[in-house]
Amino acid sequence: MKKLKLSIEGMHCASCASNIEKSLKKVSGIKEISVSLMLKKATVEAEDYVSEEEIKKAVARTGYKVSKIE
Amino acid sequence: MKEHEHHKMQNMKEHNHESPVEDAEIISWKRKLIWSWLLTIPIAILMLSERLFNFKIIEMPYSIIVILVLGFPVIFIFGWDTIKSGIRGLFTLYFNMDSLISLGTVIAYITGIFSFTGFIQDYSGVAAMIMAFFTTGKYVEAKARGKASQEIRKLLELGAKKSRILVSNKEVEIPIEELKIGDIMIIKPGEKIPTDGIVIRGESSVDESMVTGESLPVDKSKGNNVIGATINQDGILYVKAVKVGKDTFLAHIIELVEEAQGTKIPIQRLADKITSVFVPIILSLAVLTALIWWLFTGDISKAIGTGVAVLVIACPCALGLATPTALMVGSGMGAKRGILIRKGEAIQTMKKVKYIVFDKTGTITKGKPEVTDIKTIDKISEKELLLLSASLEKLSEHPIAKSIVNKADLKTCKKVTSFKILRGRGIEGKIGADHIVIGNQTLMNEKKINLNKLIKDIESFEGDGKTTMIVAKNNKVLGTIAVADSLKEDSQEAIRRLNKAGYKTVMITGDNERTAKAIARQVGINEVIANVLPEDKAKKVEELQKYGMVTFIGDGINDAPALKQSNVGIAMGTGTDIAIESGDIVLARGSLIGVVQAINLSKATFRKIKQNLFWAFAYNVIAIPLAVGGFLHPVVAEIAMALSSITVITNANLLRRAKI
Repeated sequence: MKKLKLSIEGMHCASCASNIEKSLKKVSGIKEISVSLMLKKATVEAEDYVSEEEIKKAVARTGYKVSKIE
Repeated sequence: MKEHEHHKMQNMKEHNHESPVEDAEIISWKRKLIWSWLLTIPIAILMLSERLFNFKIIEMPYSIIVILVLGFPVIFIFGWDTIKSGIRGLFTLYFNMDSLISLGTVIAYITGIFSFTGFIQDYSGVAAMIMAFFTTGKYVEAKARGKASQEIRKLLELGAKKSRILVSNKEVEIPIEELKIGDIMIIKPGEKIPTDGIVIRGESSVDESMVTGESLPVDKSKGNNVIGATINQDGILYVKAVKVGKDTFLAHIIELVEEAQGTKIPIQRLADKITSVFVPIILSLAVLTALIWWLFTGDISKAIGTGVAVLVIACPCALGLATPTALMVGSGMGAKRGILIRKGEAIQTMKKVKYIVFDKTGTITKGKPEVTDIKTIDKISEKELLLLSASLEKLSEHPIAKSIVNKADLKTCKKVTSFKILRGRGIEGKIGADHIVIGNQTLMNEKKINLNKLIKDIESFEGDGKTTMIVAKNNKVLGTIAVADSLKEDSQEAIRRLNKAGYKTVMITGDNERTAKAIARQVGINEVIANVLPEDKAKKVEELQKYGMVTFIGDGINDAPALKQSNVGIAMGTGTDIAIESGDIVLARGSLIGVVQAINLSKATFRKIKQNLFWAFAYNVIAIPLAVGGFLHPVVAEIAMALSSITVITNANLLRRAKI
């Protein structure tokens, strides 16, 4: 398991947060997701095999951009 | 570029990245806002003069062309980000707030083009006005959100950027990223301490208020720990760096506060569920509304106007912002006072808490016991008794043992064999051929040692709240050493306030009944659970939970199980260390007043969340039917929508007025 912090650009409304959460949920191997609208950040707990690319793609699907992963 | 330099630059970039995000957003909305209104105001004048005074500045078909030309950039240039995001949402089925606005404005704008056919009324001016008001709303909202997060952003920027260190007796200034453990930092008066460390030379007082909430400066001299990002006041300090980067006190605080923002509060669940299906429902509702109006009135213009009003009035944002903004303001207020809310859920649970259970040592008391009295019987002198005890206690880690060792002058320590710790009771061992037992009454009773000659003294010490250690040699009592752990300065005041607020205060301790009750009396606590072994604290909390919800307050290391067991665990910091894993709320400072503040803050924040959710629900419940019924002009609908999210955030910002 690993914990990733994503900074997300363009997230500005409540439905954005819930869309990102929904989209990330569909990625297999992602366990815990918490999206903070106020900080424009999401914290993801995922199995080690989940790649950063996959996560970025899932966020991009909803129309937002991951600007940083730590 | 060299790898090292590249990394450095990236670090610096990251550092500068944190705060301007919000500002960039505000600036961008502001720019859009100004341009939108520059173009929209002429449109509004054209429309209103015609509508209100029946005065046509420009004749009919040309006025529509003028509006279409002026309105185009408002919607498709300055509103492009919104339109793009909204349309993409419609195609990918990840609907969002923008989907509603973009659909509303685009449809309204198109009516302007079709109005030349004569069938449809022109709404293109309305479209521009909706977008202009939407942009204004977003601008105000971004500003209010920035205000809501101001304390937390301050916290993020608190860390020092540079450090002055000693390299072969010369002072060198380096960026904070290059600072390593073991470096000697030089901090002059008025400067920020770059990172956590230990003072090796110099004396000064340090303002730690920004991280612990402690308002008085703390004196520091050789051997003391200092916290990074605190401000050195009057002397020069030489500090050896002990923690850097992600391991520092400040980094932990930031992590706690940031993570808490993403945690869910149960009351928010309904709002979240609604938010996630809100946009598709509104889309369907808008289509349905337009169809029904068209069907029943035959007026396609009214039908379109009403449909657009439904699209733009519905606002998931107020619902979605209600909880996070209030939590943000609440956490920020807490962080300023050294109160770190780790789990959002705690602020909801706090409302139902009945029992406030305190661990005694280190929570109510300072946790630094000192020997106050020594009583001997037979011929042994006080000094001899102390020496004998200290020889054994030296082998124990218990705080009481340490107090005895500190008191004794240990130059002539005796050799101890077959030493044993009897958990929760005392210790035993051999000095030469003599069998020595030191411990509490339980242990003496177990060993069948007669206490008759001492019992009066023991009871009198315990009646004063002192802990007594009885010393026996070869099953005969020699004397007793009384140890007292003084109360923290504000424990009494804090407990008085909690009692007054109607909580049942409870103290849990390993001390015997009499000592425990005496301390409880001194500090004003209602109930005592005495004789509890450290590992049984969680069980005692569980027993209390049969009668009501429990908040447990203790240090995060020894009391972790009890903190977890309780409904709201409040972990006390010791000033330089922070218990990160246990505790729903963490106090950076060891004062019990922090507990009172944490409780007040939780309650105030939760009240704010409830208010916000109420207003957000009420707004949608009232506004949507009004729009469906055709009572609201689309522009009025858009203004109402913008106001609803602004109200919620402004209300959250008002939390700062609460008395904590």
